Amino acid sequence: MQGHAKQENRKMGAEVLRIVQYLNQFFGGIGGEDKAHVGPQVKSGPVGPGRAVQEALGERGEVVATIICGDNYFAERIEDATAEVINLLRFYQPDAVIAGPAFDAGRYGIACGALCKGVKDQLGVPAVTGMFRENPAVDLFRKHVYIIETEDSARRMSEAVSQMVKIVLKLVGKEKIGKPSVEGYFSQGYLENEISDRPGAERVVSMLLAKLHGQSFKSEVSLPKYDRVELAPGIKDLRSATIALVTDGGLVPKGNPDRIEDRAATRFGVYSLEGKDALDPNDYEVNHVGYTPVFVLQDPHRLVPVDVMRDLEKEGVIKKLHEKFYSTTGAVNIVENVKKMGQAIAKELKNEGVSGVILTST
Amino acid sequence: MEVHVRLQLDIFNIKDIQFAGRTAIKDGVLYVDRSELQEFLGEDKRLSQVDVDLTHPGEKCRIIQVTDVVEPRAKTNGGVDFPGALGKIGTVGQGNTCVLRGTSVVISEHRRARDAPMEPSLPGHGAVIDMSGTGAALSVYGKTHNVVVVPRSANGIGLHDYRIALKIAGLKTAVYLAQAGKGLKPDEIEVYDLPPSSGTPKGLEGLPKVAYIFQFISGQFESIPGYPILYGCGAERIAPTILHPNEVLDGAIVTPYRTMGMEVFGLQNHSIIKELYRRHGKDLCFVGVVITVAHDIEQENERAATMAANLVKWTLGAEGVILTKSGGGIDEVAMALTAQRCEELGVRTFLALVHYPTMLSGGDNTTLFNVPEVDAIVSLGTPHARITLPPVERVIGKPIDLEEGPLASGEIKTTLHTVRGVISQIGSSGLIAVQS
Amino acid sequence: MLAKELERVGLPTAQVCTLTPVALMVGSNRIVPASSVVHPLGDPHRDPKAEKIFRRGIVEEALRALQLRDD
Repeated sequence: MQGHAKQENRKMGAEVLRIVQYLNQFFGGIGGEDKAHVGPQVKSGPVGPGRAVQEALGERGEVVATIICGDNYFAERIEDATAEVINLLRFYQPDAVIAGPAFDAGRYGIACGALCKGVKDQLGVPAVTGMFRENPAVDLFRKHVYIIETEDSARRMSEAVSQMVKIVLKLVGKEKIGKPSVEGYFSQGYLENEISDRPGAERVVSMLLAKLHGQSFKSEVSLPKYDRVELAPGIKDLRSATIALVTDGGLVPKGNPDRIEDRAATRFGVYSLEGKDALDPNDYEVNHVGYTPVFVLQDPHRLVPVDVMRDLEKEGVIKKLHEKFYSTTGAVNIVENVKKMGQAIAKELKNEGVSGVILTST
Repeated sequence: MEVHVRLQLDIFNIKDIQFAGRTAIKDGVLYVDRSELQEFLGEDKRLSQVDVDLTHPGEKCRIIQVTDVVEPRAKTNGGVDFPGALGKIGTVGQGNTCVLRGTSVVISEHRRARDAPMEPSLPGHGAVIDMSGTGAALSVYGKTHNVVVVPRSANGIGLHDYRIALKIAGLKTAVYLAQAGKGLKPDEIEVYDLPPSSGTPKGLEGLPKVAYIFQFISGQFESIPGYPILYGCGAERIAPTILHPNEVLDGAIVTPYRTMGMEVFGLQNHSIIKELYRRHGKDLCFVGVVITVAHDIEQENERAATMAANLVKWTLGAEGVILTKSGGGIDEVAMALTAQRCEELGVRTFLALVHYPTMLSGGDNTTLFNVPEVDAIVSLGTPHARITLPPVERVIGKPIDLEEGPLASGEIKTTLHTVRGVISQIGSSGLIAVQS
Repeated sequence: MLAKELERVGLPTAQVCTLTPVALMVGSNRIVPASSVVHPLGDPHRDPKAEKIFRRGIVEEALRALQLRDD
C-alpha cells in the first residue's frame, strides 16, 4: 500500500502521522529474559507488533521507528531510561507514541507507563499504551496516561492495537475521547456528571424490579475489587507469644540505607531492635509522601511502639518483642508490589517463629 | 373493616407571586400581604425583624446564605402543620393538605462575620440559589417562584436559638401562604392512600414487597440541641423506627440545620416515596418506610443497622429494600452496614447515592464500602463537580464582607453542592455520575 | 493488603489504622482504630507520660485482636 498511496496523500497535503513505537526486548525480537538487561536501541520502521499497528493506522500514519529496550534495564533506572528513550525518539519528530501493549508483564508495563507519561509531559505529544487489568502499572499510570484494557496475553494483539490506534488518532485530531467503557481504556479516576432522562428515584425502583424478577441489570456505580481472607487462628497464650512490629508508614534509619521508595515501594527494610528499649528520633527518618511526618519524627513510637512493647515484654504480658521491625511505604497502593512484599515478610516472620504481628498504617 | 391512611393533596398551580394588600390566591397568582406576614413572623421574640422578598424564575437574581427550602403547604382538614415545630404535636399523614405548587419558601440566614462559614469554599455567601443561568437550569428552586425570608436575630439571642427560630420562620411562612388556598377549589388533586402493611392487601399477593430505609439525619453534621426534626423534637440518637410514608410527605420530619442535598421541600415531595406509591399495586407492594439515623459512634451504627434490617424483614416482610443516605462518608458507611445486615437476612438491597472519585486504592472505586451482595447501586451524581455561576444583578440575603473573595453578585466558581436544589440525596434529580 | 498476606500464612495480624469502617468493609480483619493518620499510636497534645499510657491502650487492644478466634 505504502509508497504510492502515501505519496498521493502527501501530494494532496494530507498529513501522514509519524508514529514511534516502544517495545521490550521480547516483542522487539531481541531475546527473552536473557536480554532483559539490554539498553535502548532503534530500528527503523515497524517491528513485531508494529506491523499490527501499521495495519490499524492504514494510510493515516506510518510507524517510522521502533525503540526496543530490555525490561530490567528500564525498571532499574526508570527516570534515566525514560529520558534516554525520549531523546532517541525526539529525533524522529513523532506525532504520537505507542508503547507496548504490555499485557500482564509488570516491568514492561511500568516502562510503557513511565515512557508515555514522559512523552506527554516533555514532548507534549499523545502517547498511549495497553495493559491487562492486573498489571501493577495500571494503577500507577492510569491517571496520567490512556491505558487500553487488554487481555493477559498477546492472543488478541490486533484488537488491543486497533483500540490503541483509535485513541491515538483521536488525540492527534484533538477529538473528544469517549467514556472508558466505550473506548476501552481504564478510567482515569475522574467522575463526571451527566443528566439522565429519568430521576434517580425512578432508576432505583426500576433496578429493584429488574433484579427481583431475575432480569439482568447494570449497576450504575461500579463495585470495587474484592478479596476476603480467612482469619489466621488467634494467639492462644499471649504470654508465650513473640510479637513482631511491621509498618507501612515509611519509618527508616536516617539516610534510608535500603533506598526504600517514598511511594510505589517495591522494597522493605528489616531493622534491628536488639538491645534497644526505645527508638531514638535522631536515628530515624520518615520516607512517605502520603502524610505529614512531623509527629512521627518527633517520636517514632507514635508509629512503631517499641517502648510500650518492651514494657509488655518485661511485665511478661508477651514473651518477646521480635528483634527486628519491618518497614515499607504504603503510599500509592500497588496491589502486586504490596502482595509480593507481604508474602516475603510473611515468610520470614513465619520462619523465625513469630506468633503474631502488629501492623501500623497511616 | 379496611383501614385507610389517606392523604389528599389539594394542589394549586401558581404562576406568579406578587405583593398586595391582602394574602390571597386568584387566577393562579399568589398575592402576599408583606407587612402582615412580617408582623406574624416578628411575633417570635428570638427575631428582631424579618425581611421578605420575592424572586421569579428568569430574574438575574441570586439568593444567598440559603439554609432550607419549604413548599407552601397547610393542613386544611385533619392534622396539624409541622407538629411540634409550630405548636402542638399532633398526627399528620391523613386528611387534606393544601399545596401551592410552583412556589417555594427560601430561608436565608442572616449570618454574622464570626459565624463559622456555612460553606468553607464560599465563606462570604454560603449556599445559593440562582434564578437564571447555569445554576437555575440545574436547580429545582431556580424554577419556582420564591418567597425569601431573611430573619434577623434579636439582641442577646444565642446562635442555636436563632437557628431554630430561623427554621420556624420558614415553616410558618410556608403554612401562612398555603392557607390562602383554604376553601378554594384546587387545580388538581393527588391522593396517597396506603393501608397498614400487616398482611398482604388483596390482589397484591404476586407482587414483590418493597420497603424503603430513609436515613434522615447525618452522623457528620453537628446537631443543635432542641432542633425540631421529628415531630418537633430532636432525633439524633433515636433507634430505627417505622413511619407511614404519608407522615414523611406531610410534615412529620423537618430537615436538620445542616444538610447536604436535602431540604424540607424534598421531603414533602419525596421522590422515592412517590415513585413507590406510583408503582404500588401494579409492579410492587409498597410495605413501608423505616427511618434511621447515621451515627458517629460505631456501636450505635451497628445497632441501627441491625434494628433497621430486622424491621424491614421481620415486621414489614420486605423482599427488597431501597436505601439512601443523608450526608457524606460516615453516612455512606452506615448505609452500607445497614444494607449488609439486610442482605444477611435475605432482603435484596438497592442503594441510591452521591459518590466521589476516591483516592483509596486506585481501581474503579467510587464507594467507600465493599459488600459483595450489594451490587445494585444507582448514582445520584457527584457533588464536587465544578460549576461556574454567572454574575447577577440582584442579591437577596446578607453577604459577609471579606477582604478577599468573590462578590456575592459576581461570577462564582464553586462546586455543585453549594447550589441548593441540584444535588438530591433522595433521587429527585436526573444527575448521574460516570467514570472517565 | 499487607495484613492479608500475613494472615494468609497463619500469622494473626492486628492492623492499627484510621479508616476503620472503610477497612472493615474492604476485607481486612482485626482492625484497631488508630489515634490519627499523622500519629497512629500517639497524641502530641498529651504530656509524654500520658501519651505513653494512651499508646499502651491501643497496643493492648491490638494484642486482644490478635487473640480473636474466627468462630
